[in-house]
Amino acid sequence: MKTPQEPRAQEERREFREEAESLFRITFAPVIWAAHFLLCYCTLAVVCAKGGDPDFWRTALVGLTLVALLAITWTGWRAWRQWDAHNTGDYANARGEDEDRHQFLGQAALLLAIISAIGVIYTALPLVLVEGCR
Amino acid sequence: MRGFRHTVTLAGGLVGSGLMSGCTGQQSALIPRGEDAAVQSTLFFVMLVGAVVLWLMLNGLFFYLTRVRPGAVPQRLANGMIIIGGLVVPAVLIGALLAWGLSILPDQQRSGDGLTIRVTGEQWWWRVEYWPEGAEAPIVSANEIRMPVGERVEFALGAKRVIHSFWIPALGGKMDMFPGRDTRVSLKATEPGVYRGQCAEFCGASHAWMAFAAEAMPPADFAAWLDHEASAAVAPSTPDAVAGAEIFAREGCGACHTVRGTDHIGQVGPDLTHVGARHTLGAGRLGATLEDFAAWISHTDELKPEVEMPAYGHLPEEEHRLLAAYLKGLQ
Ligand code: HEC
Ligand SMILES: [Cu+2]
Repeated sequence: MKTPQEPRAQEERREFREEAESLFRITFAPVIWAAHFLLCYCTLAVVCAKGGDPDFWRTALVGLTLVALLAITWTGWRAWRQWDAHNTGDYANARGEDEDRHQFLGQAALLLAIISAIGVIYTALPLVLVEGCR
Repeated sequence: MRGFRHTVTLAGGLVGSGLMSGCTGQQSALIPRGEDAAVQSTLFFVMLVGAVVLWLMLNGLFFYLTRVRPGAVPQRLANGMIIIGGLVVPAVLIGALLAWGLSILPDQQRSGDGLTIRVTGEQWWWRVEYWPEGAEAPIVSANEIRMPVGERVEFALGAKRVIHSFWIPALGGKMDMFPGRDTRVSLKATEPGVYRGQCAEFCGASHAWMAFAAEAMPPADFAAWLDHEASAAVAPSTPDAVAGAEIFAREGCGACHTVRGTDHIGQVGPDLTHVGARHTLGAGRLGATLEDFAAWISHTDELKPEVEMPAYGHLPEEEHRLLAAYLKGLQ
C-alpha cells in the first residue's frame, strides 16, 4: 500500500515546490510596475521640492522605464513558455491537474505582465510629455 | 418674524440668482472666460465625446450579440473581440487621450505678467492683498478679486486656520489653500465680466457661504480701480452717513475692521475701507444694497452659521439704516 504512493507523493511535492515558486513569480511584473511607479513619483517629488535638475532626472527615469519594460518582457516571455498553449493546444487548462495548474499560472503571469507593461508606459507618459515641475 | 421673512426673501433671491448664473455662465467651467478654463473645457468635451463613442460601440455590440443575432459566436471571433475590443482598442484609445491631455495641460504655476494677488482663506471670508510688480506694501482689500483682462495674474494662496480652496471656475482650475504653506496658481481672463468664485474645500459651518465675485476689467479701468482701492476711505458726506460713522465707532466695529484713514485698524475681519464699492457682502452671501448692509449687521448669525462677527440685532432698526448709509458710502 505504501510503496506505490511514495513516488507520487514525491512528485507532488516537487510540483508544489515549483508551484510555490511560480506563485511568487506571477507577482514579478506587478511588483516591477509598483516599484517603477513609486520611484518615478518619489524621485520627481523630491527633486521638485528640494531643487535639482528635473531634466536630468526625467531622462534617468525614462532609462529606468526601459529597464522596467525589459524586465517585464522577460517575465512575460517566461510566462508564455510556461503556459505552453501552442504546443499543448490547450488554452484554457480547465482540468485541475498539476500540469494544468502549472500552465494556468503561466497564463495568469503573462496577462499580468501585459497589464503591467501598459501601466508602466502610462506612468512614464507624463515624464516625456510634461516638462519641468508642474 | 419679520427677520425670518426677510431671510426667506433673501434666500429666494439667492437661489434665483444662483439658477440664473447657471445660464449666464458666471460660475461655469464649461463656459470658459479665461485661458486655462478654455483648455479644461476642451479637454472635458473631447473626453466626453471619446467616452460616448466607446459607450455606443460597447453597448451596440452587446445589443447586436444579444438581440439582433443571438446565439453562439465562433471561438476565433470571440477571442478576437476580447483581444482587439477588450485590450488593444481601449489601451490605445486611453493612451492617446492621456498623451493628448498631458500635452495640452496648462501649467497652473506659470509666472504672471507682474501683478500678484495674495489671498488668505479665513472663517469664512477672503483676505486679499494686491502686490503690483515691485510694490513694497500691499493694497489691502477683501472678499472680491479684480484683475485686468488679457494679463496673467499670479495668485499666492494661504489660509488662516483650516484648509480652503480657491476656485473661479470660469477662469481656471482650483488650488487648495493651506495654513502655514504657500500655494500658487496663475490665471488669465480673456473676457471682461463678473464671475463667481467659491471655496471648494469643506471648511466648516459656513463653507457653502464662502464665495466671492471676481471681476475681469479692461486694463485701464483696472489700473484706475486699483489706484482708488489704495486710497484712504472717503469721509462720510451725508448726515445719515455721519451718524452711521458715529455708531460704527461707538459699537467698536473698528476693533475687528479697518477703515483706512480713520482710527479703525482692526485686523480680525475684512477691510471695509471701500466696502461700499463691492459687488457682494459677507463673502458672496448677499448683494450690496443698503438693505443688504442692514440685513448683514442685524442678522449676521442667521445669514452665516457660526460667523465670527457678532450680530447687532439688538440695535434699533434706525441705527442699522444709518450704519448701512455709512458703509455704502465707503466707495
Ligand atoms: C469680533 C469681530 C467683529 C466685530 C466686532 C464686527 N465685525 Fe464685521 N465682520 C467680522 C468678520 C469675521 C466678518 C467676515 C464674516 C464672514 O463673511 O464670514 C465681518 C464682516 C463684515 C461685513 C462684510 C464685509 C464684506 O467684505 O463683505 C461688514 C459690512 C461688517 N462686518 C460690518 C460690521 C459692523 C458695522 C460692525 C459693528 C456694528 C462689525 N462689523 C463688527 C468681524 C467683526
Ligand atoms: Cu473655505
